[in-house]
Order: sequence, then C-alpha cells, then structure tokens
Amino acid sequence: MTEQDLAEFAVDHARKKGAAYAEARYEQQSSETFVLKNGILDALAYGDDEGIGVRVLAGGPLGFAATNIMTKGEVRAAVEDAVGSAKGTKRKDPISFAPEPAVVANWSVAERTKLADVPVEDKVEEVRHIERELLDRKYKMPARFFIFTNMWITKFFANSEGSRIRSYSPRVRMYYYLTLMKGNDAEQCYRNYGWSGGWEAVKEWGALDKVLGEARTCQNALDHGVKSPEGRMDVVVGPPVSGIMAHESCGHPTEADRVLGREASQAGKSFITPESIGTKVGSGVVNVVDDPTVEHAIAFYLYDDEGVRARRRYLYKNGVITEFLHNRETAAALGTRSNGAARATNYDREPIPRMANTFVEPGEWSPEEMIEGVKRGVYMKTYMEWNIDDKRFNGKYVGREAYLIENGEVKGPVRRPVIELTTPMVWGSVDACGKDLDLMEAGFCGKSDPGQALDATLGGPTMRLRNVLLR
Amino acid sequence: MEDHAERIVKEATKQGAQDAVAEVVVDRNHQIRFAQNQPVIVNRWRKQIASVFLAHDKRVVVGEITNFAKIPVTIAKLIKVAKASQPNPEFVGIAKGPFNYGRAAVDPGILALEGGGDYVQAAIDGALEEGAKETAGSFWRYDEEHFLNTSNGVSAQDRRVGLYLSIRALVSLESSGHGVSCATKVSQFHPESAGHKAGRIAALAKKPRGGTPGKYDIVFDPLIFGSLIDQVGNRASAYAVAAGLSPYGDKLGKPVASPVVTLYDDGSADTLGRRRFDQEGVPTKKTAIVQKGVLKTYLHNTSTAKKFKTRTTANAGLISPEPHALGAAPGDWTRDELFREVKDGLWLTNTWYTRYQSYVTGDFSTIPRDGIFRIRKGEIAEAWKDIRLTDNLINVWKSVKALSKTREQVTWWGEVSVATMAPYALAQQIGITKSAM
Repeated sequence: MTEQDLAEFAVDHARKKGAAYAEARYEQQSSETFVLKNGILDALAYGDDEGIGVRVLAGGPLGFAATNIMTKGEVRAAVEDAVGSAKGTKRKDPISFAPEPAVVANWSVAERTKLADVPVEDKVEEVRHIERELLDRKYKMPARFFIFTNMWITKFFANSEGSRIRSYSPRVRMYYYLTLMKGNDAEQCYRNYGWSGGWEAVKEWGALDKVLGEARTCQNALDHGVKSPEGRMDVVVGPPVSGIMAHESCGHPTEADRVLGREASQAGKSFITPESIGTKVGSGVVNVVDDPTVEHAIAFYLYDDEGVRARRRYLYKNGVITEFLHNRETAAALGTRSNGAARATNYDREPIPRMANTFVEPGEWSPEEMIEGVKRGVYMKTYMEWNIDDKRFNGKYVGREAYLIENGEVKGPVRRPVIELTTPMVWGSVDACGKDLDLMEAGFCGKSDPGQALDATLGGPTMRLRNVLLR
Repeated sequence: MEDHAERIVKEATKQGAQDAVAEVVVDRNHQIRFAQNQPVIVNRWRKQIASVFLAHDKRVVVGEITNFAKIPVTIAKLIKVAKASQPNPEFVGIAKGPFNYGRAAVDPGILALEGGGDYVQAAIDGALEEGAKETAGSFWRYDEEHFLNTSNGVSAQDRRVGLYLSIRALVSLESSGHGVSCATKVSQFHPESAGHKAGRIAALAKKPRGGTPGKYDIVFDPLIFGSLIDQVGNRASAYAVAAGLSPYGDKLGKPVASPVVTLYDDGSADTLGRRRFDQEGVPTKKTAIVQKGVLKTYLHNTSTAKKFKTRTTANAGLISPEPHALGAAPGDWTRDELFREVKDGLWLTNTWYTRYQSYVTGDFSTIPRDGIFRIRKGEIAEAWKDIRLTDNLINVWKSVKALSKTREQVTWWGEVSVATMAPYALAQQIGITKSAM
C-alpha cells in the first residue's frame, strides 16, 4: 500500500472502530546535516524518517498513536491503540473540535536551486569558505561551531470529514557559535538563519558577510567595549531583538492552549486569560502578527496539520490583544474557529497551537531616523542571553552587539546592556517601528510533552523603546 | 531486531566501512497528558528505528533506517556520501569489544501495565487534597528495547523501562508547585506523593509578592538543584568544551565547586537513566565529574578521550559524549538543618529557561517558577514571585555550603534532561534580579 492508501485506511478503520472523528497524517522528513567544529567536519548526518500519526475523538480525551512501520497491520494496530485509548480513558467533558470545511489541496514551496541538485561537498565548501575567511581575520577565536542542515518535508493529511492535503516543503538552516577571546575576556555570539526554499538561501542570507560582521563586532566589543550605561533611557533594538520580543512576549502568551492551561505543567500558562481580548498591552504603534504565509520564511505553510487554511493573525493590533493562536481543539473550547496554527514536529506528535513567523509589523521609520531622535540611549542590535517566565510576563534580553547613542549619533560599543522588563513595559514603551523588516532570523520554538522543537522565524524590524530601565 | 543491527554492520563493512555501529531501538512508550484535572490526550507509539554510524577512511557519516528492507540501499548511499566527505582527524575509531555487561532485569509489572489513568488520578487527587484548584502534567510508561552491534565485536541488548509522573498544581496563576515521581519498579512509583508535594507548595505559595533584587542564601529543592546539576553534566561533555559551549575549558584539576560538592554520571545505577552500554557498546559506569569541588574529568567517547589523552568514560554519543544519569553525592545535613541555617534567604523549588550570556565564562540566568519563598530565621516568612537567578555557573557551585543526606530522583522537561539524584542544597549569596514593573 502507498502512504496515501495507508492514511485512507487508517481514517476508515478508526471510524469503523467507533471514532467520531479521525485523521491520519503521513509525514516523511529527509535531512542532510553537517557540523563544522573548529574547522573539522565532525560528521555528515542523514535523516530519513517516515510514518503515520493517527488522532481520534471518541467521547473522551484525544487518542493518538503513531507508527513508522509502514504496513497495513501496524497501521491497523496504531489505529486501534488510538481509538482504544480515547474510549478507555475517562473525561467529564469530551474534547471536541471547532467545525472546518473539508479541503482538498496540494501545495509546495518553490526552490530556485533545488537542494537535491547541490552536492553535499559544495554545501560543506560554502561553510568552509566562511570559516577560512574568518581565520584570515586573525582574531583569537578558539571555538567556531557551525551547523548546517537542509530538510525535505513531505506530508499527506486525510481526515474523516473529507480533507485530503498533500504538501512538500524544503527548508534550509545554518546556525553557529563563535567565541572570541582577548586575554581572559570572552565574547560569544550565536546566530541562526532560516529559509523555506532551495540553495538560494545562502545568497539570500548573505551568510559570509553576516558571519564576518558578527566576528568583527565581537572583536570590537573586546577591544573597545565599555560597560553599558544604567538607568532610564531610550533603547533602539535591532531585528533579532524585536523578533525575540515578539516571539516571547506576544506569540507565546497568545497561544490558546497556554491560555487554557493545557501546557501548564511544561511550557507554562499565560498572563493573558480568555477574557483578555480587547485589553491594551502596548502602545498604539505596536502591531505583532504571526503569519505562516510569508514566502520563504522558515515556518512557511499554507495549510496547518489539521488541514485548516493558514492566514495572517493579528495577535496585538494597535497595542491591543486581538487574537489567539488556535487549533481546532482550543477554538472549540473558546467558542471560536481555528486560525490554522496547529502544527506538529513530525508524524509522531500531536498538532497543537504554534507560532510560525511571528514579528512586529514594520512601520515608516529608518533605523537612522529612530536613532536621531535619541538624546542618550543604547542601540542593541543583537542579543545573546534571554529568558522569560512561564506566564510570559517577566522577560530579559541581554545585548551582544550594542552601542551608546548620544545626541542622535551612534558612538562606541557597550557591553551587555540588560533589558529586564515586564511584557506591558516592553510594548508600552515602543514609539517607533522600522521599515527594515528582516525575517531571515530563525529559531527553534520549544513546547509540549514529548517536546516539539519547531522552526520559527525570530526576525522583525528595528524598533525604538522610550524611557526604559536599562541595567 | 538484533538481526537488523547485525545486518546493518555487516553490510557497512562489506561495502568498505572500517568502523560501523548500528543501534536498533524499538519504542513502545505510552503517555497520558492531563490538564484542568483531567486527561486531554493519550499517546502511544509503535516505532522501530536504526541509528547507523560508519567511518570510511576517517570520513564519518551517521544516518537512520526505518525500513529494514532497504538496508543495502541505504548503506550504499551512506558509503557514497562518506567517500565524498572529508576526513575527521579527531576520529580515532570505536571501542574494542566484546564487553561483559551487568544484568538488566526489568519489572514485569511495568511491562504488563496497559493504562495508567489510576496513577494520573492519584496524583491529581493528592494535589487537590492539599488545596490546589488546577493541575496539569503527564504520566509516562517507558518501554524501549535497544539492540547494538558494532564492527568492533559488540553485540548487546538492553530493555529500558520505567514510570514517570510530573504534575504541576496551581491555586492561582501565581501560586503553584511542582512534583515528580520516577521509578524503575512499580513498587517505587508514588504519583500521589508527587501530587501532594505539588499541591503543598502551591498552597504555601498563596498571595506571593514581588521579590527584591539582591544577594541571598538559597535553599534549593531537589528539582531546581537537579537543573543546576544538569548544567554541569552537559557542559562537562568534552564536545561542549571543544565547541566553546562550556565554562570548563582548561579547568581540569582545578576547583569548580565548593569542597562539599561531588557530582557524577552513572548510567549503571538503577534510575530512569540506566543503560547497560553507551553507543559504542562500552559498559556504563559511575564517573566522578567533580570530586570534592575539583573538576576530575570531562565526559568522553573513544575519540574525545584520545584527544584529551584519557580513557572513555562510557558516555558515547558517537559524535558528542552525553551524560546518562547524573547525581550529587549526598551531604550530611537534614533538610530541616539546611533551612535553620538560613537567617535571611530564599527557598526555590523549580526553575526553567536557563540561558547563557557566555558559555565560556558561565554567566547565566534562570527563572525560578512555582513556589518561591522568603526564609527568615529558618522559617518560611512569605511567598515571592517574579524573580530571576542571575549569576555565574561556577560561582553558584563554589557557593554551595551544605547538602542534605536524603536525595530524590528527578527529571523534568528539558531543565533536568536526564534522571538525576539530587539532594536539597544550601548556597550562599546568590544573585537575584527582577523585571522593572
């Protein structure tokens, strides 16, 4: 049987076994990854995983089972596991799904240069070239650690309501850590670039220039960096910083499963409640969106893992909480419709509400114009350490590449400026958003149990925060 | 499955690999997740996958096989890739077997367990009895079979089973507690105790007030102390050191913790991290990472050991050595004595989101979650919220003054990534910061 036959069989068999609703998701993930550590190619890694996940509703909790043994017998056993679990486990109020129309679709991501057509030797050479250029700079750089990966994701989704969706999504990612030393002083950077598409990613990223720029600014900080000023002042943050702020302080707290307590034991809850829609959380210039349909962003998709059409979601609009990220389960619980945010890392995980490409919508300002309006402050272009509490209210972002601003001009480097603010303080202080939207920054977004680390865009525009406390 | 591992290795050597390892894992785990005091999903897995490692003229390739009918084709592809790759001069081969392994008895009670709903209910009831209003968490029954074969004479198998329950109890959004139960035998499994602990902490944490930044003496509960042990275990991997992702570079033989601290990895101990062998087939054993405050060794596989002129610690990871199961040697204090020692400090019960500004210096912060308590004269004075532990990893470990005699086995969602035997601990003058409101 083909994977499509097996998925169709799974849905039919689940219904025969008494499931009120059933879906089967076939997924194949092939990957090619290499690690270049201090100039040594540690290993080439090839992943080739495929399987089917079956999820059912049968009058209690959800039942889910997955197998990677692609035979009719094993798929049948998985279906019976899922249905048996859902029927055999007590729950006072059975889980239900918000209604959705049946969809038949086939979507894919275009590759200008197919990843499969580029020999792995050329991919390794691309990163080796970056490494050689780095070494030519003669920095004292005891550790250079690059990971490059490309992945091909093929899916087929079928449910008992008639949806049948095929998709193909190639993705490319490179991330790296550089460690530069001066005496006992160290400066480290971490950056992560992502792309949905083909080998053109490397050109689109401008990877060589970016990596060299990172190393140069680390060295500049070691040579000339001074302690960052403390106290209340204006801060201009670069795209990676506005991106991580959007992700942590807007995207996560508006995930409906957090709001409903389904993630309470792991990724946590949210300071936002079901009643928070319409509540002001930032200034009027703050618009934060999550948009899976941004072409070539790392988390691009057109239909989610429940077969729901993807669209742009306005999470904060004009500083007001406007929308949660939903799958069909959370939408039903809150009496609304899914907005296509259900995603799973692979066939063997349940789809839950996830961010895709989350960012502050660009405004009309250039970074220079924003800086011109600052009498004394800090320009924090990138960050290294960051974290936030599990209700997504207390965030911390520590600058990596950062500069003093005096009388509207960028001065010398400052080290480790610390923004440690509540979520309303961050968004309430924003008075300007740049037009320089950069969505190449990527990350891994963690959630759920078992863990599901998913591709996410962490970029955005430059953004100005007025009169915030800097440590 | 044993046959599959052997076939993969034979095929790889037949096609020219000098070193080959195949580990076939059969996964029959199941899980119940719960939230709002009732189950939300039951997950079951039926998976089998072979991890393949091969080296051809020092060119290292790893891959995976799920369709065992395609073994020759997949190996041919990996060999082709290896030939086109570049040598790794740091790869010196895999461990020479065969080896003798300890017995690996598993509890038939766990193998026979089909559901687990009663355990979930017991944990929820325990928390509610303490005053919690809301609970969430997960129950796991682990059942994995591992079949390992290498081109250096290893043919071994292992069955890794266990039970785990993690529960968070909430009285309100800002008053919560967490408890876990880990067991390799049904008789050791106490989900109700985990529920009671989570509920008790949540009830104690009622009406917290915002904390005050400063330096504090801190009593760490086993769950958060397990997170700090986890940081040491993972940063002590020789791979992390070489990649610049560790503060322990150039610190072998030097003090990295207070003299009361001994930390070890022990995959041979009876915990959820128990395994008979590492990924090269080397029998697992107890390895002191830090002994009486001094860094004794990094965690190694055969290749990293050669680079550092020592012997493998049986922690392969074929590419990167990793901890299996960590622990801190117990101290000689009771829990109550640790609390009484604190004149003005804090009791932290859990944490998450540990991140570094610099791995090589160890500057980091982590966010305490669940019950945070101010201690005055050895007694809980009030509950706090909204603080962050901001310090340096080595400094925190050098600040440890005392450890409890009793320990708990903990592991938890990323922060305590492997089973860890953790005592209560008292550390002095640890940095606390908080967000500007």
